[in-house]
Amino acid sequence: MNARKALCFTALGLAAMGLASPAMAQTRGQLRLPEFAALAKKATESVNVTLAPQVLGLACRFLDKSEPDEAAAQQICTSLTGIYVRKYSFDTDYAYPKEDIEGVRRQLSAPGWSQLVGARSKKDQTDVDVYLLIDGGQAKSLAIIASEPREFVIVNIVGSIDLEKLHELEGKFGVPELQIEAGEKAPAAKAPAPNK
Amino acid sequence: MSDVENELRRALRPVDPPAGFAERVMRALPPQRPPATVTPLDIVRTAPRVTAWRRLMTPAALAASLVVAVMLGQQVAFEREQRAGLAASRELMQALRVTSQKLDDAYRAVQSTPPRTQEDEENRS
Repeated sequence: MNARKALCFTALGLAAMGLASPAMAQTRGQLRLPEFAALAKKATESVNVTLAPQVLGLACRFLDKSEPDEAAAQQICTSLTGIYVRKYSFDTDYAYPKEDIEGVRRQLSAPGWSQLVGARSKKDQTDVDVYLLIDGGQAKSLAIIASEPREFVIVNIVGSIDLEKLHELEGKFGVPELQIEAGEKAPAAKAPAPNK
Repeated sequence: MSDVENELRRALRPVDPPAGFAERVMRALPPQRPPATVTPLDIVRTAPRVTAWRRLMTPAALAASLVVAVMLGQQVAFEREQRAGLAASRELMQALRVTSQKLDDAYRAVQSTPPRTQEDEENRS
């Protein structure tokens, strides 16, 4: 009987390990994003991009080098291991659960994450937060959480983010001059929150 | 020697066959027939000889079918990868556009904030 119990516990343990393995496989800097499956039905526009390492590698290979945008993207994506984007637009105000977004924001309070920008606009009721995960003086992950009454966006870019290359992107996708000094540690201090 | 033994010896003694016995046996046998001649049918006579090419035709056809199947499979896999790759690259570009748009929003928000002056800092403290 004892042997049978031990066998059951071992089997349960192995099963738990099997279930836990995908979560354990999650790379550092990758946020656990909710599925927002129900929101997709309510949203007027939705973007749900999940580019895991293998798919990202495939996407990089198929970019058209003759297009400046895509050539620039190829330069960046080779060092990345994942891109995750959730964007939902609605035709009514606050049709999305704020607690889901707060749940993602809470993950960014983990050690290593630094808030680069925290912008709050009472006038437009918009919040934009940009976070960087710094490890060994290098940006390993980027997270953006932007919310408006009728839209919210969560971006998580995982991998060695070469700030120099990000700098090179400026102007290509409409990425602004971020005043990032290449080779230096990204600023850990919070940016001033405007209009608050 | 007993009488019984003598009787047996007498009964089993070798006896010569009667005259003309062998001739009578030979006459009783059926007459000897000539050996049968085998004549192949026309269909067999006209059948073509199985050449080396004909022997190899079936395995060659099977091998060719296998090669075609493998090539078709590779082509299908290549096209599938092509479709998946193009779809993934479109998603990647879309993701980067959303990212850049939001970075732009953050940048504009930061830029619109008036820089703190020393006077502001003193008032804060």
